[in-house]
Amino acid sequence: MPQVKIIAKNFMDMVASLTAIKLDKLYNNVFICEAILRSLPPLAKKYVLQLLYTDVPVPATMLEEWVLADGVSKHRAAIDRMIQLRIFMETTDRKKGTSYSLNPTFQKNLQKHIISGGVLPREPMNSNNAIKLPSLQELETYALQQWECFLLQLINSGQGEKLTGISSSMMKIFQRGLLSQRDRDGPRLTESGFQFLLMDTNAQLWYIIREYISNAEERDVDPAELISFLLELSFHVTGEAYNLNTLTEVQRNTLKDLADLGLVKLQQGRKDSWFIPTKLATNLSVSLADSSIRKEGYVMMETNFRMYAYSTSKLQCEILRLFARIEYQLPNLIACAITKESLYNAFDNGITSDQIITFLQQNSHPRCADRVPSIPENVTDQIRLWESDLKRIEMTQAHFYDEFPSKDVFEAACDFAREWRGLLWEDSKRMRLVVKSEVHNKMREFLHTQSK
Amino acid sequence: MASVASKLYSDDVSLLVLLLDTNPFFWSTTSIKFSQFLSHVLAFLNAVLGLNQLNQVVVIATGYSSCDYIYDSSLTPNGNFESSGSGMPALFGSLLEKLEDFAAKDEELSKEEEHEDRIASSLLSGSLSMALCYIQRVFRSGHLHPQPRILCLQGSPDGPEQYVAVMNSIFSAQRLMVPIDSCYIGTQNSAFLQQASYITGGVHHTPKQLDGLFQYLTTIFATDLHSRGFVQLPKPVGVDFRASCFCHKKTIDMGYICSVCLSIFCEHHKKCSTCGSVFGQSKLDDVSSVSNKKRKAPDT
Amino acid sequence: MAGGGQVEKRVRYKSSVKDPGTPGFLRLTEAMLLFVPNDPKSDSKLKVQTLNIKSQKYTKEGSNKPPWLNLTNKQGKSHIFEFENYSDMHACRDFITKALAKCEEVPKKSAVSTSTEQLSIAELELRFKVLRENSELQRLHKQFVESKVLTEDEFWATRKKLLGQVSTGKSKQQVGLKSMMVSGIKPSTDGRTNRVTFNLTSEIIFQIFAEKPAVRQAFINYVPSKMTEKDFWTKYFRAEYLYSTKNTAVAAAEAAEDEELAVFLKPDEILARETRQKIRRVDPTLDMEADQGDDYSHLMDHGIQRDGTKDVVESQNDQFRRSLLQDLNRHSAVVLEGRSIDVESEDTRVVAEALTRAKQVSKADGETTKDANQDRLERMSRTAEMEDLQAPQNFPLAPLSIKDPRDYFESQQGNVLNEPRGAGALNRNVHEAYGLLKESILEIRTKGLSYPLIKSEVSFEVFSSLTQTISTAKNIIGKNPRESFLDRLPKSTKDEVLHHWTSIQELLRHFWSSYPITTTYLHTKVGKLKDAMSNTYSQLDAMKQSVQSDLRHQVSLLVRPMQQALDAAFQHYETDLQRRTAKSVGGSSSERPNGGV
Repeated sequence: MPQVKIIAKNFMDMVASLTAIKLDKLYNNVFICEAILRSLPPLAKKYVLQLLYTDVPVPATMLEEWVLADGVSKHRAAIDRMIQLRIFMETTDRKKGTSYSLNPTFQKNLQKHIISGGVLPREPMNSNNAIKLPSLQELETYALQQWECFLLQLINSGQGEKLTGISSSMMKIFQRGLLSQRDRDGPRLTESGFQFLLMDTNAQLWYIIREYISNAEERDVDPAELISFLLELSFHVTGEAYNLNTLTEVQRNTLKDLADLGLVKLQQGRKDSWFIPTKLATNLSVSLADSSIRKEGYVMMETNFRMYAYSTSKLQCEILRLFARIEYQLPNLIACAITKESLYNAFDNGITSDQIITFLQQNSHPRCADRVPSIPENVTDQIRLWESDLKRIEMTQAHFYDEFPSKDVFEAACDFAREWRGLLWEDSKRMRLVVKSEVHNKMREFLHTQSK
Repeated sequence: MASVASKLYSDDVSLLVLLLDTNPFFWSTTSIKFSQFLSHVLAFLNAVLGLNQLNQVVVIATGYSSCDYIYDSSLTPNGNFESSGSGMPALFGSLLEKLEDFAAKDEELSKEEEHEDRIASSLLSGSLSMALCYIQRVFRSGHLHPQPRILCLQGSPDGPEQYVAVMNSIFSAQRLMVPIDSCYIGTQNSAFLQQASYITGGVHHTPKQLDGLFQYLTTIFATDLHSRGFVQLPKPVGVDFRASCFCHKKTIDMGYICSVCLSIFCEHHKKCSTCGSVFGQSKLDDVSSVSNKKRKAPDT
Repeated sequence: MAGGGQVEKRVRYKSSVKDPGTPGFLRLTEAMLLFVPNDPKSDSKLKVQTLNIKSQKYTKEGSNKPPWLNLTNKQGKSHIFEFENYSDMHACRDFITKALAKCEEVPKKSAVSTSTEQLSIAELELRFKVLRENSELQRLHKQFVESKVLTEDEFWATRKKLLGQVSTGKSKQQVGLKSMMVSGIKPSTDGRTNRVTFNLTSEIIFQIFAEKPAVRQAFINYVPSKMTEKDFWTKYFRAEYLYSTKNTAVAAAEAAEDEELAVFLKPDEILARETRQKIRRVDPTLDMEADQGDDYSHLMDHGIQRDGTKDVVESQNDQFRRSLLQDLNRHSAVVLEGRSIDVESEDTRVVAEALTRAKQVSKADGETTKDANQDRLERMSRTAEMEDLQAPQNFPLAPLSIKDPRDYFESQQGNVLNEPRGAGALNRNVHEAYGLLKESILEIRTKGLSYPLIKSEVSFEVFSSLTQTISTAKNIIGKNPRESFLDRLPKSTKDEVLHHWTSIQELLRHFWSSYPITTTYLHTKVGKLKDAMSNTYSQLDAMKQSVQSDLRHQVSLLVRPMQQALDAAFQHYETDLQRRTAKSVGGSSSERPNGGV
């Protein structure tokens, strides 16, 4: 297991891990309530709406009544998440059992939001103002360019043409976990680093933002404040210009970093400065499901393991290089092949076959994406086969037991271990067995009671 | 259908097409005021939009003699949450404005029509067709699209003369695998809506307390299609499957059917008025119909 | 065990209920019933003619009584057999039922020549088979046929398909011909004398006749007018023998001497004629290459001349030469054709004549189709056509003529009847109504949404009432929506409900199919059906009362649709009856329109 678990979804875990006071404070902002609502699992969203206007606690049994047999686990997950985020207040009554009510601040704010809409602390610039706004298209190109540039710099490939303004100390923080710093052969991508590169932009963005927030305290910035600002930012309108002087000092500094990431574009007017949120920023609060926004794909995979990528991006070329052999590059086309060696290389770096396949699927050219399956089956099968070649041995921490006093005790021990799903091996003739380490403590207790 | 399915978003992103009954003849007789009703509906729409940034809402007004799109959230991206000065989200402003225009136009048309004997039903068939057209366009647009569903908020009684058109819409929806949810707030029962929901796999519900409409809407009708796999929604006890006859537009439970074009008649005809097929003599009539005999008596 | 004709079971025979019983074997055949005691000295040997059995009773499975079968004969004496288990008993019971039915069938035939179609034994057996295999059907049959609600024929009329399925499986397959060739009949030589013996069977004769029309013709011509059958065959095999020795010179010489023998040696004229005809009818688009080596080879300019063996050919005796290939082809043609006639006669002449007739018929068939040539040409043009160049083939098409689509899709306003409308529709003021609507819209535009949107109490109330409906629905359907309520009923009740359902369906099917009532027969039938239905109706009521109170509601939900269906039937019956009586009072029966039945 890599120490840094690269799952973008746990941004909300981070929110959940804030202290209760901070969380409650966070819910004072209408937009954060909205963003949190959007991040919830579908069933949780439904529960919030259901209880939006109920003041009294609702018994848990009433909610459970609606759940079908197939949905019990989803229901549990939804409730857990809501309690974690302090949206649901759980009260346990001896008579009525558990009941839930919505966090009053959260509830009030959402009610208000639904009826009268939210009011942003700042108004967009009037259209008759002098400066020329970039078109949405230009803005998107700008954002992607900025983001790629940042990524290239992040993986230190040295090919970033213009350096972003992110301070090297900040960059170091981002690289933490993604690159391993070794003095001799320079920085190398770690497992998580490779995985990171294969994620889609949104997920990458969340990862970076997460790092940015967790690092906030080192920069004397309150994480809660930062979170609230980021979420608020996501409700601004793409392409509209907002005046910088509506922001606090901290926010302005933050905005500069965000501009380097491509989240906003800064524009200098005659008197005032403006910031224009890009799509990356407004997508921040989009529910974090993986496929919510998808760029047009560019990869075509053939059954003969050759891959053609219509791309001019160096970053994409670098990404492909992670698991494929680049054969030649044309101005708008990268031709490469997936070979056993290139894949072994990738597996060595901790990339899994599933990651590669999902990456190929997510980025397949629209013409290919229309086909089912979008990636030829023989290729996906082969990738998986090559991976399983490397995984013939599985290691499990275990404990070995022998010298049982009697057959009965031995068999009881076996049954016990089986019950806890910890039995790995048994030899009934010589009365020996191997049990997973997790069960060891329970096993010991059990054997104690047996011997008495 | 496979290609359609593959273009769906994976989770709970939905496209809600809401058919809003604006039949003035219904609203002038109800206990709940139209403004009150509208409050609940608008809040509900805003809530649906709030659930997911990619959620999309389209509102079609179903009037007495016309119907029209009055709101489409995809046309005002991201702007739904801003107040338009008057303490109201932009959604409501533009929707209400359109609605007012629509009511005026509908009034003009109704005045021209002047069919005193028509049931005060609204043009459900028209708005259903419009909703399906919209959804069809979304399906064909080629991009990823949200999961569409239709919600009929209906109070007026069924117009039996729309039977064929409504049924055709229902079957199209069934083919497109678009569920039609229906929330009937009128006093009678709507056989159309019951059948629509039953056939397309949607939910039909008749709220008992109209002042709690918002609660009904959020509890039942806000459930996205993804979640419907995990949640039990109320089911009606029975479905009214009765059809309307083509000749007098009466709702009947037993009748005659043209064996060629399946037109339905409440009484025996010599010829099908739809396709012109000539029917044979009805045995039943020959043997047992008293009126038939009476007519024949002078000849013999 | 239960082989078709006979059943044998180990039983105890009791002459009365109190009799401890004699152990032994019960043997059942179709004609009689035989009990043989284990102890040969015992005098309780029994023999009963099936004809004499009047009725049979048996203990029900599940009752605490042992499996008894009680047969009563026409004299009123009863015989009780105690079986080892129920399945044995049922086997015997079924057998007796079947045998009894057969016995009854026989006198019926002679006694009453009813208009109903006479059933073959096979058909009857089939019915019993179907009944035996389908216990539910058996139950229905017992309930309705034996209680005389339906006649046997009526019962089966609705199940023709069921019988048809089984009977098709029974159709006999025709036995084909053996593929062994006649020339394969090797003569047996005894080695000592120069005698050659051919063994002839009717099978072989048939084959010879089929393969060699000339021999057949010759047989008809010569036997018995010119020679005996034996002489004929001797001559034939002599010719064959000569041929098989490939001694064409001798053959030619003998043929010159004996004109009858020559017939066998010469190429078969009839065959040649047939073949020529066949050639004429060959599809011109046929790939002739594929036919290389076909049996046209003995005609000039067709196929290959030689079969590849290096026979030395004397040109003058060419006419006596037949190739093996030719024989082979001819033989396979006959085998493929199969046994075209169904003659099982020993008389050789009959066989020969029948074959000739069959051939003539098929030939006539070919010639009578005058437009065969035309047909051929058409076929040729069809296959040779270039699809792209052809005009589209216009199949006859009758379009659905919807005169005015608006008739279909739109309302026919003109037709709308002046039905009573809702109260709101009568005095509606368009202007006022729209005014109210617009006012509402304006109100919400200026004042915003009503606040509070919804009261907390109302919200909770609505939510809990909805939850209530969900949970009650769950209770009705069961925790698992797929598990039906039926499964929660006790088994006996469930069976009862299901049985009522099937029997109601059966009754209703007959009931509705009897309408319109055109004959007195139907009239009485409907009457009987109605009585049976009202009987069932009261049974349903009784069942509803009998179930436990906690299930009563659910059971009544299940029963309601059945009762509704019955009610509808009753209602129809009543109205129809009234109408008929009204009619018979109003006018005479002569007024029935012609052909109205």
